[in-house]
Amino acid sequence: MTSPARVFLRKYRWRFSGMVAWVIQRVTGLLLLFYLFLHIHTVSKLAEGPEAFNQAMATFHSPLFKLLEIGLLGTVVLHAVNGIRITLIDLGIGVEKQRHLFWFLTVGIGILIFLAGAIPMFLFAVLKV
Amino acid sequence: MNIRIRIARFPVQGGKTFSEFQLVLEERMTVLDALFRVQREMDSSLGFRCACRVGMCGSCAVSINRIPRLACSTLVKSLDSATVTVEPLPNLPVIKDLAVSLAPFFELWKRALPAFRPRNKESQELARIPADTLFAQLAPGKRDCITCGACYSACTITRKSGRYLGPAAINRALLRLLDPRDAADSERLAVLDKEIEGVWRCHTQFNCTATCPRGINLTDSIVRIKRALLRRGRSFQA
Repeated sequence: MTSPARVFLRKYRWRFSGMVAWVIQRVTGLLLLFYLFLHIHTVSKLAEGPEAFNQAMATFHSPLFKLLEIGLLGTVVLHAVNGIRITLIDLGIGVEKQRHLFWFLTVGIGILIFLAGAIPMFLFAVLKV
Repeated sequence: MNIRIRIARFPVQGGKTFSEFQLVLEERMTVLDALFRVQREMDSSLGFRCACRVGMCGSCAVSINRIPRLACSTLVKSLDSATVTVEPLPNLPVIKDLAVSLAPFFELWKRALPAFRPRNKESQELARIPADTLFAQLAPGKRDCITCGACYSACTITRKSGRYLGPAAINRALLRLLDPRDAADSERLAVLDKEIEGVWRCHTQFNCTATCPRGINLTDSIVRIKRALLRRGRSFQA
């Protein structure tokens, strides 16, 4: 007997994997949409001349933005790998094993790809070793 | 050991309240047993529905700790919760306390043309369904629906759109589409292909599959129909 949130995470995370995956896809999709607008806004600075663009780029070279870039990598990877899972399901591949697909493909392989990109980014862009 | 059971009530004057009761937890006590204990010993005005008590009829489907389940098949102990919250199935009109009207569910069920329409009404021959056909392979896993409404109330799309057919109706339509003796393929596919009502509204969240007390993979049925609609002109069983 424990709190309802803990019970849900322990007992039902496997059972409702499909819903968890759907929420992840929507949240990462919205974050990528936000990033797209930010990207367009930055690129549009070119129209104001090279100085305005360089000033905008200088902001993105701060360590905080490098950390956010690592977050962006995580968002892209999750969205992409989960997108592959959804495509497979729509093709009728792994519908019976969708929970395995989520936890092993989306989460498992997603984490591996994320770490493969995030560790060098953190070492060379944030810590600058 | 005691458990606290919170039961949703709907007074005549409107609104939603919760009645709370303390019960002694027994080893094999189901949620339905707990509801009967409350009704017999504590509050005789409590309204709920049940019939078979063995998970066959689907009439005791309620929301238990926010998940639609059959009260008769859910052991209180298995919930791992000191408080058990019992509410009527969401997304369906409440008749009294935990009893809901399944009228909206069956309205949509009827729209999917669930009844068998034979190709040859006069035929006296027994149909032969070879074991290697898709119907023979899929039917055992798809035909056990007890129309409890758990999938319908767990589906987030039916919550938003009262016109979406819902997982149970679509699963029944799939069974009919697969059946080589049935003649209403094109009529059914036309209903299933509709933008608001049909299969395209499904967001593949698998909530229906996760809550089906009979373990039917309803999302698989919906995905199969989506693919069939994309290859129109070819046989459904191809």
